[in-house]
Amino acid sequence: MRIRRDKTLLMMTVPSIALLLVFNYAPLFGLATAFQDYDPLIGVWHSQWVGFDQFRQLFHDPQFWDSLKNTIYLSFVQLILFFPIPIVLALLLNTVLSMRVRNFIQSVVYLPHFFSWVLTITIFQQMLGGAGLLNQYLRSHDMSTWDIMTNPHTFALLVTGQAVWKEAGWGIIVFLAALAGINSELYEAAAADGAGRWRRMWHITLPGMRGVIVLMLVLRLGNALSVGFEQFLVQRDAVGHSSADVLDTFSFYYGITTNNYSYGAAAGLFKSVISLLLIWGANKLAHAFGEDGLYRK
Amino acid sequence: MSSQLNRRTFVSAAASVAGAAAMAPLLSACGGGSHQKTGANTKTGLKAALPAYVPSTAVKPDIPSVSGGGNGAATDPAFLRYPTDQVATVSGVPGKGGSYTAVTPLWGTVPPAGNSFYQAMNKALGVDLAVKPADGNNYNTIVPTMTAARRLPDWIQLPAWWNNAFNTGELAGTQLADLTPYLAGDKVKKYPNLAALPTGAWQTCAWGDKIYGIPCVSTNFSLAGAIFYRRDSLEAKGITADQVKSADDMWNLGKELTDAKRGVWAFDDVWTYLSLFWGVPAQWKLVDGKLVHKYELPEFLEAMDWHYRLAKSGFMHPDALAGNNAGQGTRFYSGKVLIAGGGLGAWNLADYQSGTAADKNYRRGSFNVFAADGKSTPSIFLGPSASMISYLNKRLKPAQIEELLSVANYLAAPYGTREYTMVNYGVEGVHYTMNNGVPTATKEGQKFVQATTYPFLASPTSVISNQGADIVTKDYTAWAAANVKYGYKPLFWNVNISMSQSLATAAAAQSVEDTIKDCYHGKKKVSDVQAAISSWKSSGGDRLTRWMTTNVLDKVGTGQ
Repeated sequence: MRIRRDKTLLMMTVPSIALLLVFNYAPLFGLATAFQDYDPLIGVWHSQWVGFDQFRQLFHDPQFWDSLKNTIYLSFVQLILFFPIPIVLALLLNTVLSMRVRNFIQSVVYLPHFFSWVLTITIFQQMLGGAGLLNQYLRSHDMSTWDIMTNPHTFALLVTGQAVWKEAGWGIIVFLAALAGINSELYEAAAADGAGRWRRMWHITLPGMRGVIVLMLVLRLGNALSVGFEQFLVQRDAVGHSSADVLDTFSFYYGITTNNYSYGAAAGLFKSVISLLLIWGANKLAHAFGEDGLYRK
Repeated sequence: MSSQLNRRTFVSAAASVAGAAAMAPLLSACGGGSHQKTGANTKTGLKAALPAYVPSTAVKPDIPSVSGGGNGAATDPAFLRYPTDQVATVSGVPGKGGSYTAVTPLWGTVPPAGNSFYQAMNKALGVDLAVKPADGNNYNTIVPTMTAARRLPDWIQLPAWWNNAFNTGELAGTQLADLTPYLAGDKVKKYPNLAALPTGAWQTCAWGDKIYGIPCVSTNFSLAGAIFYRRDSLEAKGITADQVKSADDMWNLGKELTDAKRGVWAFDDVWTYLSLFWGVPAQWKLVDGKLVHKYELPEFLEAMDWHYRLAKSGFMHPDALAGNNAGQGTRFYSGKVLIAGGGLGAWNLADYQSGTAADKNYRRGSFNVFAADGKSTPSIFLGPSASMISYLNKRLKPAQIEELLSVANYLAAPYGTREYTMVNYGVEGVHYTMNNGVPTATKEGQKFVQATTYPFLASPTSVISNQGADIVTKDYTAWAAANVKYGYKPLFWNVNISMSQSLATAAAAQSVEDTIKDCYHGKKKVSDVQAAISSWKSSGGDRLTRWMTTNVLDKVGTGQ
């Protein structure tokens, strides 16, 4: 009965489901290679099964633990320094009354999202690199230079800064949508009761956004081990592999580039399992706080 | 830009990859489920399979080859003028009308399919050869998808530095055709231009004592690379290359040339090629009859230490320290760096044109090989005689293989012959015109004729030719003649080795290579490299040494 009623809507979801099946679910069969000594020339069916051998090797590999440590640390830094910024930006933008100014600011902060990481890092290199504008200026004025692009100790701050510059504008979209959904009569009533700007934000705006913030937080925690790939790949040589390697680049360098596909798959599978546990835990937490999380209970 | 085919007309990217690859053994990994026999070719088995060598006398060079003495090396001959009286080495049309597909890597713009050059080539070859150049930068990821699906074309180029990525040793005999019955010994004389390719080059095409490949761009003088310098800038300061005879001299030169305030640094990335001046071998060295990996040699750590100190000295361009190698050419042309390592492929007409466009005085030079201590006899290992190797598909019938070998014979015609001109320049009046004795590409030629399309299927031995820039040819040949005597055949020279995946992973030594890179960028100390090496030894390095000793050294010998 409901299927017949929602036939049109269901038809609309078919392409998306097909895409998911082809690009997200079908490749899951490739996870079998994590339990094999996989040889692409003879395929999955004929490759030798080795049980948990790849995982045993992985857990004895100091490079792997370094990559995991980097991933968690970078994820934590980005959660603290990056996650609140789109929310703050959305709140600030919401206070701009002129639609023209608002659209202009929004377009400007959006734009970097469409740049590739290579281009983004090139811009940073040209500005802040050892031979970039800033350091050449300092050199020409007999001042000591700043090692910003190649300092492994401040790399986490650098990549977070780059992520903020590139993605913060894009990240405000969903929060602006949440702000647009708040009933404006609430603000008028609060103003009539004498609530100032901060009071209105604290008691109306933020509670109105809370559901979306929690949802985004849950999704972010689920992706905690996916801090990026190209951004780290491009800057790996600049700061050194022990600072720049995250789980994804580890899989690439120690799995794919050395033809050790099974090893890479094992690292990838480990990451997926941990991510699943994280998103499940975060969702449970959201429900415990009375929020919807990924779905309504 | 001329499109002469020689070892030095690849684009720099390809050349540097090839240059770096020259330092690696010709490895191929077999997966765990493979039934491929691991090991290397045997002396007696290989001797029976190798084609006879009959040098070509079709064209006389302006600057003849110079022998390296007893080391077996000889410089590539050079041409200052393009031969006007072009001789033909193939009578009639080689093909019999068969239809084939071919895939080669291309570091450049892929021309449209079915263009006028391809049509003219098919007419000249007498076959319908559908050439599909693929992006060279992603070639190592494109080929495995074809091999995994068992959908290789009829003819494919598999560069030797990717033997490991392609599992070439495993493909030989399973997906690639055995050419031994057609080429072994005197049988090759049916194809005189293939018979003119050096024996060493054929060795790089052998797997399991059989010939599977056709060597392209072969040479008797292959080096991993060189240390280049801005000759115009240094000579303006009264500095000549022969003043640099040791690592200390190089250090002092770096100090003298660096002026960071003006945005000029002496060095770009030099580790890959300068480290060889410490006597670092390609991969292995025999010490008291025992096989020792280069990581375990004191000269390797000495070189490492010097380069670590260089990274900390302030003589290296910051972008080079940041691993931005893609910008090396620009930095060199603009004079922001004056000394840079690179593959010999960088020293050519295109480089001269780019350099003089940036600075009319531009002139590339290369330091002579020296011993880092300034006292020992300089030496540098020779790279493989061929790194670009094409293969035929096992599916082909014997008659088809013979037809494609006849086509290969046409493509391998020596420099300056009628066939060579067709393969490299196309049809006169359509794709090129003779301009002051130099074949000059027309607009159509620039669009459709790619210097590496057909030569990556088969080509003659390398020559040096930079039509319109004699200074480059003279500089290069003078440098090569002065340095050829320093070349030596490294252990397992031109030997293809098949090994298991786990050993190949140990041979790749990713964690050590990563730490080495961090060290010459100044991020890690030499002690960190030593720690990475000792970890590598216990996790596979020692096993690799034992396997190489038992399966290659004891069975095949040194390959020298």
